Amino acid sequence: MNKSLRFLIVLVPIIIFTFFANVLLIEEDGKFLKFNTKNFPSFELNDLNGIPVKYEYLDGIKLVNVWASWCITCLVEHPFLTKLSDANIQIVGLNYKDSNNKASAWLQKHGNPYILSIYDPRGDLAFDLGVTGAPESYLVIDNQIVAHIQGEMTPKKWETIFHPLIKKASNET
Amino acid sequence: MIGEISHFLSLSAVVILSLILIFNFFFFFGKIHPNQLSLSIRLFNQACWLVFISFAMYVYLAVNDDFSIAYIASHSNSQLPIFYKISSIWSAHEGSMFLWIVFLTAWSIFFINSLDDSHSLKKTTLLMVSLIILGFLLFLLLTSNPFERVLPFGAIEGADINPVLQDPALAIHPPMLYLGYVGFVISFSYITAYLFHGNFELEWEKDIKNWSLVAWIFLTIGITLGSWWAYYELGWGGYWFWDPVENVALMPWLAATAFMHSLYASSKSSVLKTWTMFLGILIFALSLFGAFIVRSGIIDSVHSFANDPQRGLYLLIFSGLITLLALGVFAYRIPSLNGSKFVVSGSKESFLSMNNILMVTSIFSIFLGVTYPLIIEAINGEKVSIGPPYYNTIFTPLILITAIFIMASVDSLWQRSKHLKSYVYKTFFPVILTILFTYFVWHITETFSILSYIGIFSGSLILFTYLLRVLNNFFYKKFINKGSAVAHIGLGLLFLAVSLNSILSYEKNLNLAPGESIFVNESIKEFSFDDIKVLKASNHDVISVEVSLLQDGKNIFLNPQKRKYATRGQITTESSIYTSILKDTYLTIGDQLENGSWTFALKINYFIKWIWFSASLMVMGMLITIFKKKAT
Repeated sequence: MNKSLRFLIVLVPIIIFTFFANVLLIEEDGKFLKFNTKNFPSFELNDLNGIPVKYEYLDGIKLVNVWASWCITCLVEHPFLTKLSDANIQIVGLNYKDSNNKASAWLQKHGNPYILSIYDPRGDLAFDLGVTGAPESYLVIDNQIVAHIQGEMTPKKWETIFHPLIKKASNET
Repeated sequence: MIGEISHFLSLSAVVILSLILIFNFFFFFGKIHPNQLSLSIRLFNQACWLVFISFAMYVYLAVNDDFSIAYIASHSNSQLPIFYKISSIWSAHEGSMFLWIVFLTAWSIFFINSLDDSHSLKKTTLLMVSLIILGFLLFLLLTSNPFERVLPFGAIEGADINPVLQDPALAIHPPMLYLGYVGFVISFSYITAYLFHGNFELEWEKDIKNWSLVAWIFLTIGITLGSWWAYYELGWGGYWFWDPVENVALMPWLAATAFMHSLYASSKSSVLKTWTMFLGILIFALSLFGAFIVRSGIIDSVHSFANDPQRGLYLLIFSGLITLLALGVFAYRIPSLNGSKFVVSGSKESFLSMNNILMVTSIFSIFLGVTYPLIIEAINGEKVSIGPPYYNTIFTPLILITAIFIMASVDSLWQRSKHLKSYVYKTFFPVILTILFTYFVWHITETFSILSYIGIFSGSLILFTYLLRVLNNFFYKKFINKGSAVAHIGLGLLFLAVSLNSILSYEKNLNLAPGESIFVNESIKEFSFDDIKVLKASNHDVISVEVSLLQDGKNIFLNPQKRKYATRGQITTESSIYTSILKDTYLTIGDQLENGSWTFALKINYFIKWIWFSASLMVMGMLITIFKKKAT
């Protein structure tokens, strides 16, 4: 049989193991790419209660958080989002590729930190935003996206990326 | 004192296993000394027994509430019934690893002693399993020692087992699953030994066939029990979540299923031998990968144990070495494995190989789904989840192709192709019936979702193909492979039940005050909140709610509960389920609102019991296969 195939049989597992060893050994650091401000895409969707939400709604300072009831990491970041919402941060949910029933039940079960959740079952707005999976969070100031993270929102990320931008924005106004 | 003895016995097993390996290493290249094998076997048996006795003593300690042992103190409680005191041993990392090793040892000792002393592979297989057991025992004792004491004074009372784990299904779910996982250590070690040896005249398939079938049965039962438990205990009303840990259990299952099919094919014709060996190695490698994923805490999951990079690294290095050893020998020997490479297209083995490829594709897709979040994390340090949308989209087309190949393979012949016309003739009826049935479902439900309908089509295609076979057998006495028919009818039913469940089921969230009753929909004309009580049980408080429903003209009484557990302060939701043939009425209570009313989640789950029924059909089919073999 082919020599390169034999070689691959051994090489592929080695690559996989090296990858996992790397993941285990690399310390999670707070490196974030510099973000270039861009416009929030225009959209017309309903929220989970069926009330229309438009692009114009995203003025002022709002945190847009992509979530879904099937997403486990969303449940992990949920307590922290609740804390933020208690601290008067306006969080707009973007319910991503989910069903209305499941999403509402999820909010009812775990609590609702969102002022509203945009219902995006087909992922249309998410596609325009460039969402790769749930959770992701965007900081939107006057319809401009000024920061973006993929994955869990942690206190550390909040303090290093989002909080300074919000402080700056509220000082300017 | 008993704790120390138990600890000492496990340590002695480590010493003996090391002795076996060292002793054999020095003789490896030399001629086999007549006593070398019998001495190794005797030592090996002793080491296994030491592990068993050590575990038995550990069970004794747990039953007698020895809370000076840290692990028992933090996972058991004197108030627990004996059954749960024992099952608390495998409710967390250390103890479940211990159980894993006990099963590994049990499979190994049975298999090794089932081989004749004259069997040329006995020694190498014994060395392989010794190495694996030794590696895991060292892992247990060095990184996750269940024998550790709380000194100088032990705890007076234990911290209790997690209440959601106090459940009969969950007490037996891990043992079944582990029995399945580690059962494939036999095919793994035996195939590796075979490849080391290089005597390719030997018929290796028959020695491991039934062992693998039995391990497959345990794995299937384990996965099914887990899904059943999640459905009624977690209160989410779902049965499968594409959680990483479910995925790492599904991968070895798919590999094992592919392995058994190609084992069957390679026993009937000489093709696929190399491929079968690769699968035999792959199953256990995937089991090891699963153990690594679950126990390193590398992925967020409802199942994961405490995060400890040291454990993860040990497991990774050890399973990596074992897997590379096997795959390395395999790659080295490929040129000498002279199977017939010529597969007649349209023959039975050609369809089997196609489905084998599909199963490996599924494994790869799951593997990608599990690792994708990690790859993203490695690239930019972020965590993302891959959810059901990914898996549903990937799997549906695969299921359709699988169904078509299954249908084609049923009437095909070994090593020979049949005329195309005969296929058209044979598949005419199942296809027509399937189209009619799918149309019928659409007519009744009036909902459409492309993925679910592909599932319904695929499921009924398999189902009708085999049902027609059964009828043919019944009326015309045509040959039928009974085990295979039962298992595949189970598979067809599974696809069908899962798809019908996804299009028909619905949820209603209701708010009611005690004494109130409301109209829900045409099927549930009345939903009345009759009573609410607060009760006290031995280790928890209960809020118990009585609800009556007028569903489809029948009165149904449901009794969902919320429990607050004293020792951990944890609140659990106990769903109340009314089951009829077609659907489950599934009710859980949520929270009390400010105005005194309560929230309810009412779920109508269609065909959910059929999912577990179809899994048991698959197990039954496999049992028929095993016993039929024994009889002949």
